[in-house]
Amino acid sequence: MSDRIFGVVGLLLAIGFALAAFAIEESFLSDAVGPKAFPLIIATVLGLSSIVIALKPDPEPEWPALPRLAEVLAAVVVMILYAELLPEIGFVIATAFAATYLTWRLGSGLIASVVTGIGTSLGIYVIFHMVLGLSLARGPLGF
Amino acid sequence: MIFKATRLAAAAALLSASALGVSAQGFTPENPECIAPANPGGGWDFTCRQVGKSLQDLGLLDKTVQVVNLAGGGGGVAYAEVVNKRNDDNNLIVAASAATATRLAQGAYPGNTMDQVRWLASIGADYGVIAVAKDSEIADLPALLDMIKSDPTSISVAGGSAVGGWDHLKVLIAANAHGIDDVRSVKYIAFDGGGEAVTQLLAGSVQAFTGDISEAKGFVDSGDIRVIAVLAPERLDGEFAAFPTAREQGVDVIGANWRGFYAPGGMSDEAYDAWVAKIADLYASPEWKEIMAANGLAPLDLQGDAFQTFVAESVAQIQAISREIGIIK
Amino acid sequence: MDTLASLADGFAIALTWQNILLALLGCFLGTIMGALPGLGPSNGVAILIPLAFTLGLGATPSLILLTSVYYGAMYGGRISSILLNIPGDEPAMMTCLDGHPMARKGMAGQALSLSGIASFVGAFFATWGLIFLAPQLVKIALLFGPAEYFALFALAFMTLGGVSSTNQAKSAFAAALGLGLAMVGVDTQTGVPRFTFGEVHLYDGLDFLVAIVGLFALSEVFIFLEKRHGEADASAPVKIGRLTPPMKMLKDTAPTMARSTVLGFLAGVLPGAGASLGSFISYSLEKRLVDKDGKTFGKGDPRGVAAPEAGNNAAAGGALVPMLALGVPGSGTTAVLLAVLLALNITPGPLLFTQNPDVVWGLIAALFIANFMLLAMNIPMVGLFTRVLMVPPRILMPVVAMVSFVGIYGISGSSFDLVVMIGFGVMGWVLRKLDVPLVPIILGTLLGNSMENNLRRAITIDNGDWWTLIDSPLSIGLWLFATIGFILPLIVGRKVKSKMHERRDEEGSISD
Repeated sequence: MSDRIFGVVGLLLAIGFALAAFAIEESFLSDAVGPKAFPLIIATVLGLSSIVIALKPDPEPEWPALPRLAEVLAAVVVMILYAELLPEIGFVIATAFAATYLTWRLGSGLIASVVTGIGTSLGIYVIFHMVLGLSLARGPLGF
Repeated sequence: MIFKATRLAAAAALLSASALGVSAQGFTPENPECIAPANPGGGWDFTCRQVGKSLQDLGLLDKTVQVVNLAGGGGGVAYAEVVNKRNDDNNLIVAASAATATRLAQGAYPGNTMDQVRWLASIGADYGVIAVAKDSEIADLPALLDMIKSDPTSISVAGGSAVGGWDHLKVLIAANAHGIDDVRSVKYIAFDGGGEAVTQLLAGSVQAFTGDISEAKGFVDSGDIRVIAVLAPERLDGEFAAFPTAREQGVDVIGANWRGFYAPGGMSDEAYDAWVAKIADLYASPEWKEIMAANGLAPLDLQGDAFQTFVAESVAQIQAISREIGIIK
Repeated sequence: MDTLASLADGFAIALTWQNILLALLGCFLGTIMGALPGLGPSNGVAILIPLAFTLGLGATPSLILLTSVYYGAMYGGRISSILLNIPGDEPAMMTCLDGHPMARKGMAGQALSLSGIASFVGAFFATWGLIFLAPQLVKIALLFGPAEYFALFALAFMTLGGVSSTNQAKSAFAAALGLGLAMVGVDTQTGVPRFTFGEVHLYDGLDFLVAIVGLFALSEVFIFLEKRHGEADASAPVKIGRLTPPMKMLKDTAPTMARSTVLGFLAGVLPGAGASLGSFISYSLEKRLVDKDGKTFGKGDPRGVAAPEAGNNAAAGGALVPMLALGVPGSGTTAVLLAVLLALNITPGPLLFTQNPDVVWGLIAALFIANFMLLAMNIPMVGLFTRVLMVPPRILMPVVAMVSFVGIYGISGSSFDLVVMIGFGVMGWVLRKLDVPLVPIILGTLLGNSMENNLRRAITIDNGDWWTLIDSPLSIGLWLFATIGFILPLIVGRKVKSKMHERRDEEGSISD
């Protein structure tokens, strides 16, 4: 069943991609092929392969139970928050929080998670910022 | 962009005087950065790296200028990045050229206009060349244009800018000057930078190359390609003197690709003045004159407001030409 | 013997204490950057450019430092591929396919050593190729016009079928998805934005590093989160096994390394093909050649580790040919190296070998030095690397996730890229569940733009005539090869599948 749904979603994606390709505004001066042709070829391949997937599905994969799915979703939310807050609160703090959360959810004790989180954050800061000289997000505290 | 040489010289003479003055400034860039809106190896990249290195060598900056290549959209990606994301960055300058003005004039940076940034200064001009492979049967520019005139499909011209960009426009202007009315029939193939375009000329995929002298120099030295026309008002000096101008072959075209910089629109006046002064000092140095000579750059000495005016004028000019040849409405 | 004399001069230039120390530093930093997801060779080199300039190094020492980083990163990429199933950089992607299964079988040490040796072989012979064949090889590069490049890319995609999945439709889907993602951004031919939905961040397209880190690294984290209770830690204590490969394994993989070195080198020589294509083609052709039935590749076959590693390191050497002789970079990393040369006032091009022989030969000598150093450094360090597997996933995975974020953020400084990466992570997780291979997606995003541009150039040159694509003997040859590679597995595959069923019945279920 999963593959059938996947195939249909893929087909819709292909149609959407093709529609978006048709909507590309042509430039006043174009080459012989133009900016639409190749995306349309891709949309065709995408659509055809989706149809085949839907018609000849593989054995059903093992989907996680609802609580596990919620676990993954929560991690996604934390990661997005991390990405958005990184420039605001600075690298070290944001990373320590995010790493602590992930370690905790992967089954460590709370104190062990906090230690791992802070350690990860500082370790990365030293390697990437001090040794490799990358500019990481500088928060209000300067790190 | 086309302009009369006399006017250029007059403008340069007039403005170089005004630029020498102000030099006192409180601003020093902390992490100077130069965006080259193309892949390494092209003209913009050269501008950033050469100027960055010279600024440091001459002691005008004590930090290394970090060069960031941000290719795409004929410079549009970098332009949008500067306008939208880094509008008040005092450490940033961006390489620009006639190609930038061309795209701006044609509205090819969607939603962006030339007043959204502050134009800093020019560092010279690079005259356009049209070249063919060393064993090509095409003897000179009129021969090439005649072939295009009789059968536009027989000649593919390769260049490093996108369709409608500066490298493309040069050929179109030449074709127009030679009496080809429907210049849109001229076949132009866009490559990712001049280096790739020259390689495909050597490979025989295309019949002619349009670009700047700096892009063609290495291959001319090695004898792999032959310059059939330089789009300068008169023959250049030194080792470039052997190139015939388009004008002496009866095709009245001058195409100079000026090179320079713009800065974010929100840059503080203090920082803007500091950058202008630094580039002015650089331009005035004998070291820079040597670099210009070695790379076939012709003089074009404009800074600050004068440069801003100059760019505005060239944008207007290109718009007029593009309309005249019929590539924009 | 002029060449050897010049090479000796090169060694005289390169072999100073300062340069050797620089090479050591470069190799070390390069290996680390290669192994860290998100930092690849091109970023590695780019990051260290300021260092080279700040130290006030001259042309040759700078190049020695940076090429050591380049080769080091090519070596390092395999480490995380094998140990974590997360490619450290894009050319190391193919090493995941057999390297990680080897590690799970308790052969992590052997996989690492073997891949180290394969890397050495590839890079070593590619450097000799660079010395003796550079002028001739430039001619090969010149045989490739836009139509031929298009055929070459098509070959890569059409032979993709059996590489990473048993379901060809899913491979095709993945490839098309990758190609479609590559279309996002401003069209380089005409300058019009495509699939950007007015979002400025999308104008220069999706960075394939963002895609690779999201698809591989973050999806791995999600999978561990999903299986947390018991399972994750239960599978943790992996046996490390012996650290060096037995002689027999070396002997068995020697022909593989030889073939892959040649292929990878040639792929590297073509500007616009690059190291990823080198490792990819090496792997898929090796699979076609020695594993026709699809029995062992993808399940921890040592040859599947040796092929891509020899291939991508040979390609790294090959990519220097067009960069030095034509001034055209053959890969992202050589583009950065080219920029360094230009900044040092050295113009690569046809005359570089005559105008700056000291630079060229110093560079080549540096490549040899870096290569030996990397071998000497990598084999003893295998034991150290494998310790990574002893770290329980509940600690390792957060570290991997955070390193991925930092790698991307440190380069682009953009939260938007991070969110896109998370999106790729979720996508990778779902696609993995559905058994859709991830490798073709990356290949698509990597090659999509070049593929399209070359198609459009070829057809524009021939005035809109699509037949131009099969107009030269070379492109016909490439297309033939591609077609055979595409159709053969469809026919053979069916036979093999039925055979495999028979065997399963006989042997009972000892499948993995």
